[in-house]
Amino acid sequence: MSLYVSLMRVVENHIAPLAGRIGSQRHIIAIRDGFICAMPFLIVGSIMLIVANPPFDADTTSGFGRVWLSVAKTHWNTITMPFFMTMGLMSVFVAIGTAYSLAKHYGLDALTAGLLSLMAFLLAAAPQADNKMSLDFLGGQGVFTALICAIWSVELIRLLKKYNITLRLPEQVPPAIARSFELLYPVIGILLTVYPLSILLQSEFHLLLPAAIMHLFQPLIGVGDTLPAILLMVLIANLLWFAGIHGDNIVTGLLNPIFMTNLAANAALVAQGAATTQTLTAPFWSFYVCIGGSGSTLVLALLYLRSRSVHLRTIGRLSVVPSVFNINEPLLFGSPVVMNPTLFIPLLLVPMVNAVLAYFALHWDFVEKMVAMAPWTAPAPLGALISASWDIRAAVLVLLLMALDFAIWLPFFKVYEKQLITQEMQQADAERAASAATGA
Amino acid sequence: MKKIVLCCAAGMSTSMLVKRMQAETEKRALTLEIVAVPAAEFESALADADVVLLGPQVKYELARFSRIAAPLGKPIAVIDMMDYGTLRGDKVLDHALALMA
Repeated sequence: MSLYVSLMRVVENHIAPLAGRIGSQRHIIAIRDGFICAMPFLIVGSIMLIVANPPFDADTTSGFGRVWLSVAKTHWNTITMPFFMTMGLMSVFVAIGTAYSLAKHYGLDALTAGLLSLMAFLLAAAPQADNKMSLDFLGGQGVFTALICAIWSVELIRLLKKYNITLRLPEQVPPAIARSFELLYPVIGILLTVYPLSILLQSEFHLLLPAAIMHLFQPLIGVGDTLPAILLMVLIANLLWFAGIHGDNIVTGLLNPIFMTNLAANAALVAQGAATTQTLTAPFWSFYVCIGGSGSTLVLALLYLRSRSVHLRTIGRLSVVPSVFNINEPLLFGSPVVMNPTLFIPLLLVPMVNAVLAYFALHWDFVEKMVAMAPWTAPAPLGALISASWDIRAAVLVLLLMALDFAIWLPFFKVYEKQLITQEMQQADAERAASAATGA
Repeated sequence: MKKIVLCCAAGMSTSMLVKRMQAETEKRALTLEIVAVPAAEFESALADADVVLLGPQVKYELARFSRIAAPLGKPIAVIDMMDYGTLRGDKVLDHALALMA
């Protein structure tokens, strides 16, 4: 118990405040929100890739399967076009969204900041030749470049504004027109910074800026795709949840650039008809690590439904439907799981066990790796099925993990239920005694 | 009409609480607007809000949000963890009304 107490003290005094600072750091928020902006496009676009890849073998006897296969084959380009225009241009969306969000935090004009960032990113990542633009670095390969361009663009606007470096027009010019010229110096600033760097790299090293940046970030992505890294992140996220802080929100804010780069890499490989390579992606986190929300508590909600404790049964009824869609705040705060020493161990253990088993299942190709972005609110077996390009084994893996989670949560649930039943009985006794006293 | 804004990570779980609070306002025959927004939209939601309540899971944003809201004189508070978890619309509504009074 003393280990628990000292661990709790470390979380409360050190980890939670630090996470709070990270979670409210403006560049990290901007990066997180930039991806949130891009998400609807990525979801719809990547699902088109899944539509183009029917879950049927070429020699299927199912009539429906044969029709789907033949439509997918003849109209491959038409069906996958939205995929290339969303997931394939992921970094364009991220560049605009991140700059927009960061500018809003600084109280700057967000739209123009987004547009400036777009210009910076295209200058760096999409050189044109013969009236054609290369898309090679506009997808997942350009994510880190997009983030850097977005941050640099907004900081440049802010810097110029701070030192009052702006184009001064005569006072007679209407303010609306004057404002439209405000961006002139920042645009020139981007042209004079990003473009020469891009030109220099191309002429001296035959290297495009995003390729160089990707090279710099490669170790991070490499580490990000390993089991120890993911376990550490899962541990931190759930420790924070134990302290009542939305740990996933903070951790995935940091992990998203890596997760989305990995997902885009897998999707691009599938689009080329090649085998996937990356294990850890955003849907991996959503559907294997958070089955029913942080802590994989869907099975706990099911346990509550039949609980003999009135309180837990009430929470169960309240939270079982949202839990199916991976929303479990009522359960976490209502049980409560947050700050509850009895449920501390499974809250940390269950998602970590899920992460380990899912990691190896995907890593060793027992289950297809994830290639598409399903909405995180999709029920986990369905979300996993879609994300893993219709591999039915993905849904089976989720169900197996749930069975295992059930077994881990069960004894801890029993202990907690017993505590509550004792409490509820004492309360009922006290009430009965009180009413008897007033009755007499 | 007074407006209460609830704010959590994605605006999902708070929207469940909003429904409960709306039922409670109807019961009390009050005219109030209650909405749920993700933390990312806090700044734009603040403009026409009269009070902002944060889900306990984003309490780490309280200091930053308070700095933004203080000059506008708009109250901000974190919702009690147990009221949030058990979706007690009446208690949370009382809290919001007390802050606006």
